Amino acid sequence: MKPKISEENGLSRRIFLKYTGTIVFAMGSSGYFLNECGAKEDGSEIAISDGYLVVDVEKCQGCISCMMACSLVHEGAISPSFSRIQILQDSFKKFPDDLTIEQCRQCEEPACVAACPEGALTAEAEFGNVRMVDKEKCTGCGSCFLACPHTPARLSVVEDETFNRELKSLKCDLCANAPHHWDEKGGGPDGKQACVEVCPVGAIAFTRKLPAQEGKSGYKVNLRGENWVRLGYKNS
Amino acid sequence: MNGYAGNIVSINLSTRNITMIPTKKYEQWVGGHGMGSALFFDMVKDKTIDGFNPENVITLMSSPLCGTLVPSGAARTEIQGIGVQSLPIGWFTRSNFGGRFSSMLKYAGWDGIAIQGQADSHVWIDIRNNDVRIRECDDLDLWGTDTWECQKTIWKDVAGKGVYGDWIKINEKGDMTTQRPAVLAIGPAGENLSRMACLIHDAGNGAGQGGFGAVFGKKGLKAISVIGTGSIKVNNPKALMQSRLWLKQEYQFDLKDLKFNTFVMGFQSPPVPMALYRFGKPRVGQRPQACVGCTAGCRGRYEDGIGNEAICYASLFYYLGKTHLIQRQAADLINRYGLNAAEMFVGELYLRKLQRMGVVGKGKEIDCPLDFNQYGELAFAEQLVKAISFRNDGKGNPHPFGDILAEGFVRAAEKWGRLEGEDSDLKTGLLKFPHWGLPKHKLERSQLDWGYGTILSDRDINEHCFDMLRAFPTYFKQYGKTLPPSEGVVQAITDKMEPFQGDMKMLDFSTENMYSDHIIKLVSWHRYYTRFWKQSAQLCDFRWPDFLNLYGPQQTGATGIAEQRFFNDVTGKNFSFLDGINLGKKIWNLDNAIWVLQGRHRDMVQFADYIYTKPGTTPSGYPEYMPGIKNGKWDYVITSGRHFDSDLFENFKTRFYKFQGWDEKTGCPTRKTLESLGLDKVAEELEENGKL
Repeated sequence: MKPKISEENGLSRRIFLKYTGTIVFAMGSSGYFLNECGAKEDGSEIAISDGYLVVDVEKCQGCISCMMACSLVHEGAISPSFSRIQILQDSFKKFPDDLTIEQCRQCEEPACVAACPEGALTAEAEFGNVRMVDKEKCTGCGSCFLACPHTPARLSVVEDETFNRELKSLKCDLCANAPHHWDEKGGGPDGKQACVEVCPVGAIAFTRKLPAQEGKSGYKVNLRGENWVRLGYKNS
Repeated sequence: MNGYAGNIVSINLSTRNITMIPTKKYEQWVGGHGMGSALFFDMVKDKTIDGFNPENVITLMSSPLCGTLVPSGAARTEIQGIGVQSLPIGWFTRSNFGGRFSSMLKYAGWDGIAIQGQADSHVWIDIRNNDVRIRECDDLDLWGTDTWECQKTIWKDVAGKGVYGDWIKINEKGDMTTQRPAVLAIGPAGENLSRMACLIHDAGNGAGQGGFGAVFGKKGLKAISVIGTGSIKVNNPKALMQSRLWLKQEYQFDLKDLKFNTFVMGFQSPPVPMALYRFGKPRVGQRPQACVGCTAGCRGRYEDGIGNEAICYASLFYYLGKTHLIQRQAADLINRYGLNAAEMFVGELYLRKLQRMGVVGKGKEIDCPLDFNQYGELAFAEQLVKAISFRNDGKGNPHPFGDILAEGFVRAAEKWGRLEGEDSDLKTGLLKFPHWGLPKHKLERSQLDWGYGTILSDRDINEHCFDMLRAFPTYFKQYGKTLPPSEGVVQAITDKMEPFQGDMKMLDFSTENMYSDHIIKLVSWHRYYTRFWKQSAQLCDFRWPDFLNLYGPQQTGATGIAEQRFFNDVTGKNFSFLDGINLGKKIWNLDNAIWVLQGRHRDMVQFADYIYTKPGTTPSGYPEYMPGIKNGKWDYVITSGRHFDSDLFENFKTRFYKFQGWDEKTGCPTRKTLESLGLDKVAEELEENGKL
């Protein structure tokens, strides 16, 4: 019953799970593992990020414009699977459990950075210490994906057309390295983030203050305000 | 082909063949309705078949804008085919729904779906990227479920061992997503072939008109599920992002400077559910809920989970339910059982009138198992919904009442003998089904664009382009608020109505202007704009066109500037606003040719009798106001309380057909007109069938 597949589609596809077994083996044999303090095995400290995304899950209207904008400015194409921020929703559930926003936390102690066996995940001062992927170095092994302690993992691994469909990790960089960024000044902590700018209701915000690392409350905040209440929504 | 996935999947349920059609073959039609009409024209050789005939083709089309960042233009799915709801025959018709189906379809690699044939068992279609399968309902016990149960069951199946909330592996290749499949399903009403059966996606996205739920049911098709992990390329990513932010900055509501705190049309609207319950908006914790890419969600999800995503007619159904909670629960009922909310709303009030007249009831002239002592209680609504959905008494027992009513209210009225003689309910106006056997929506004798547009096409057009010209004046007059001068309003709008811009009398809704050539231009522009920009490019009806906008420069909206800007950002074409209008005209001609091939003649283009004799009145009793010229000056004039004149309407039709370049005697597009539009093969088929 399968149709013939047209290669015209040019679709990149996530095939990461096929490699899961390989990744586990590689991690074990190369000695890379998650250090409790988040530092790399060589003991070097990772500076905290200059910026973070915080979200209001009760304000979100589920339009996934943030996901499309994220994918667009980074990949030049639109796919929910390319997005570094994920909106997950269930039409049939009760508010507010019907929807959540899961964004990269730019962790103070980033397990993904620590886990990368290639040194492809770094926090460079010139990019505001945002934890970001160097695609030239990334081998798509998925160590970062597995190391991320959050659900869903805030990274993904996809076939990258600009790298001859090799597997590459995708991770939020606050648009610091977004090839299709719309603004001349670009993104990153000192620039504009696509998801923040595009959200019609202001359910995503940028902050320079390090959110509380334990639990979700530091990253899931109240961004509503008086006029949101005027529209008939609760503010608490 | 920027903006496209590249292929359309064609599924024959009779032969179980699945084939691919390159989208390129139909690219001239852009997408949505135009592409659907063209596909239908090619695939259905005999256009006179009934909607239940296996050869009937149902198309579900996206557009190049679907699944992209185009504001309020990324989420619609256009569905077409021969319907089973309208009279005197089921016209080739359309419906449309929002949510995330068309975007997910494109992420899976498909621009559309064409379904033909009839399965020899109950089936559902499972699309996971390029893997398309026809699967048996029995394997998941899907047949017999309501639309919500059906979707949840399919979600679980697609997730396999995965759990939503995490990344889900959708196939053996390991393609992953966090998103749930987008599922379009029928409920018991569709399974039992009610002509009022609709299609439901997620909690409340419904494709109601046409009875496509019943067509699915007849084909043995319970649901279509699609999940995709691919991507859509756009021509200029930076420009698209800039355009989106431009619209946000210049035209979109601003939470720091709210101009409205209720739902309105256009981009000035804040995100507020368009819940029309008699008791108002639900007063429980809630969020707005939007289709993919929308600027302002028009639905809601609630902390008690009741009435999730129910708006518009779904929230109006059971208008006389005793409590807010009952009304909301009733809205869920029709979404779950899969019934057309518009017909249920108008029809239920008709039943109530007949009952109060002593005609309907247990043992009455029309024997009815419903207990009207429970009218207003949820139990009454539930029994009514079940009676129609299962064609019985609503409690599991055989009864002709539900069986007859499942055919629709006009067919039921005829069966009950209520359409005979001078007291016919369509002559007295008791049965408010003014066109094509379909329920009343707007006051067609007042909102002329709506009334003429509907009777000159195939269904209640449900296009709100000019609705603000009725809504604002009517409510402002009612509440004593000051209106802006109508002349300025009319000029701002007509300036955007290319190629008829400058003719302000297109929006003169006075009685003196009801049949004028200016109104013919209004109706024509409306047909062309909606056929392309709304139904083919698939811009949302609630936000487009954006004519007037309190945030916009000189309080004008984005229409005329924004449509083509976004279209070109995505596709890379050099397409103008007028190109869209002209393509809309071509699609409108193709549709009319199909109707003629089905058997339409201008003599059939008639409103129900009461529209020519009874004054149009509003439910509230307050008059409607619209812009119009009064004593030589622009004003807001009362447009309710009048009726159409049969002879003047006939003359209007003659001039309308002439304006289209059609045969004035038959209403059939002429060879000359069709060839001028590049529709030569359409002309040939008309001639082969003796229509030219």
